[in-house]
Amino acid sequence: MSPQNEILLEVKDLMVFYENAVAINNVSLRCQKGKITGIFGANSAGKSTLMSTIAGLILDLKKKEERKGGERISWFGEIKFRGKDITNVEPFERASMGIILCPERRQVFPESTALENLKIGGYLATKEQARTSLEYVLDLFPELKPLLKREAGFLSGGEQQMLATGRALMAQPKLLLLDEPLLGLAPSVEARLAKAIKKINEQTDITVVLSEQYARPVFPIIDHGYVLENGSVVLDGTSEELMNNPDVLSAYFGI
Amino acid sequence: MPELRKERLDRGVKVRAESIYAISSMKEIMFLIGPGLVLVILLLILPVSLPSFWQRIMALTGVYVLLSIGFGFLASYVGLVSLGGALFVGMGGYISGLLNSVGVPMFLSIPVATIAGALICTLVLLPVLPLRGVYFAIVSFVYPLFAARLIAALGIFGGTDGIAGLDVMPNVYVLLYVMVAVVIVVMFGMSRLVNYEDLGLVLRGVKDNEQAIKASGLNLTWYKAQAVFIAAAMGCFGGAYLTHLYGWVGMSLFATDFSILPLAATVVGGTGTIYGPVIGAMLLVPISEALRPFGTLRIVFYAVILVFFVVFFSEGILDYLKRKYEQFEHWVRV
Repeated sequence: MSPQNEILLEVKDLMVFYENAVAINNVSLRCQKGKITGIFGANSAGKSTLMSTIAGLILDLKKKEERKGGERISWFGEIKFRGKDITNVEPFERASMGIILCPERRQVFPESTALENLKIGGYLATKEQARTSLEYVLDLFPELKPLLKREAGFLSGGEQQMLATGRALMAQPKLLLLDEPLLGLAPSVEARLAKAIKKINEQTDITVVLSEQYARPVFPIIDHGYVLENGSVVLDGTSEELMNNPDVLSAYFGI
Repeated sequence: MPELRKERLDRGVKVRAESIYAISSMKEIMFLIGPGLVLVILLLILPVSLPSFWQRIMALTGVYVLLSIGFGFLASYVGLVSLGGALFVGMGGYISGLLNSVGVPMFLSIPVATIAGALICTLVLLPVLPLRGVYFAIVSFVYPLFAARLIAALGIFGGTDGIAGLDVMPNVYVLLYVMVAVVIVVMFGMSRLVNYEDLGLVLRGVKDNEQAIKASGLNLTWYKAQAVFIAAAMGCFGGAYLTHLYGWVGMSLFATDFSILPLAATVVGGTGTIYGPVIGAMLLVPISEALRPFGTLRIVFYAVILVFFVVFFSEGILDYLKRKYEQFEHWVRV
């Protein structure tokens, strides 16, 4: 296998149960190194569950639910990162391996300043790395420069999304998971962020997996897409293949 | 290798009991009212079957049960962490004691102390009600310390000696059955309040999202004050009851135990319900008393039991029992 199309992340026959409900049903996907993979689906399709299972946060959720005697969460299948099985690896260890999640609804630290948010993201990096990635983030999102001293909770939605993406970049990701990065943004800001994601991918060779409900703004930038429905993959293909499927076009791309 | 997963399913009788079939046969009816019936029968036969040493403890347990219901109600349904158990007990105890010492008969002084004490407690706690977070806990914890020091320093209300020679209940059965009746009424009444009444609905909303309550046109502080009044009334009744259990009122009614034990009982019994704290208090107080032969080591054993529960059984006894009662598990292939 040539290094160009090395498989960075491989999910095999993944099933996730919330108590007796199936959230992810037999999902398999492969993400090539240096490419952008899109995961599309309506609410409750299982996008966020898939993202948090890849990032490992589902382990935390399971523990939390166990403690209060709530829903019992179980999963089966295999997640491989660079050929290593990480299905039951703790989320913080996955982060140090380079799997960084930028969570849904941004989840910035609202009472820390923007700069502090970025610094927390760069906690695992060396000082030198952190400085270069901070420069890179500010270069990518110049809008953040005048806002560095402001509390993140007082930033606008678009600024918070840029901050959250920047925070994820500070952690030196090899695999960047963006869960609904364009949630609740104005069309102009959507286009701005989609361009930035493409730029990250081109300039740094970071592999990106992003999930979206409305595929149109990110459609031009993805290399490969999966369409989820009720927890199963109903369709996958390159962006051209998806583009040529009339059902998909009307249902997920609004074209 | 086939992978197996444990599946949890509701028992058939539970599913039937949720619908019109609930009244189809005795089995479904007993499934619904059985647990409550067992608790009530237990409470009714305990006073006559216990030895006299344990009868006193049962009376004390009743006071703690009321305090725990109050704590659980405020914590699980209103979102207020109250450490004011000692304030409520002390307030009710002293009002009842003072009234009784000037000649008001016991059957009048207890209800008056319950209502007036709850009113005063609500008034003194009013300034912190609009705040969220630890402020309510801190202030409600500090008031009883403040009151006890005030009484000691000024020598009012009998000072450190307290007021002795008050009326006591005519006999131990009256004593216990008064408490059993109050506990039964409060327990089922509170369960009804939080589950079926409008006030309970609003209070659960207060816990979840205060801004949404304000946006719905409801006066947040007024609803919180009502909730505090209800919890305080239970505690004040407990205090007044203790006064006439001992025939004496003193500074020990402001003891920190009354604030802390309800918290532990709620954690052990299970949060999020009214019956959880009841079960927690009915276990913890007797355990605490049963450990008395160990002398000073009592607190050590007690602490070990508490830590065990919190670490290994943190969902609470009631939640665990409820799940076993309503559901069964079996293995299925993935």
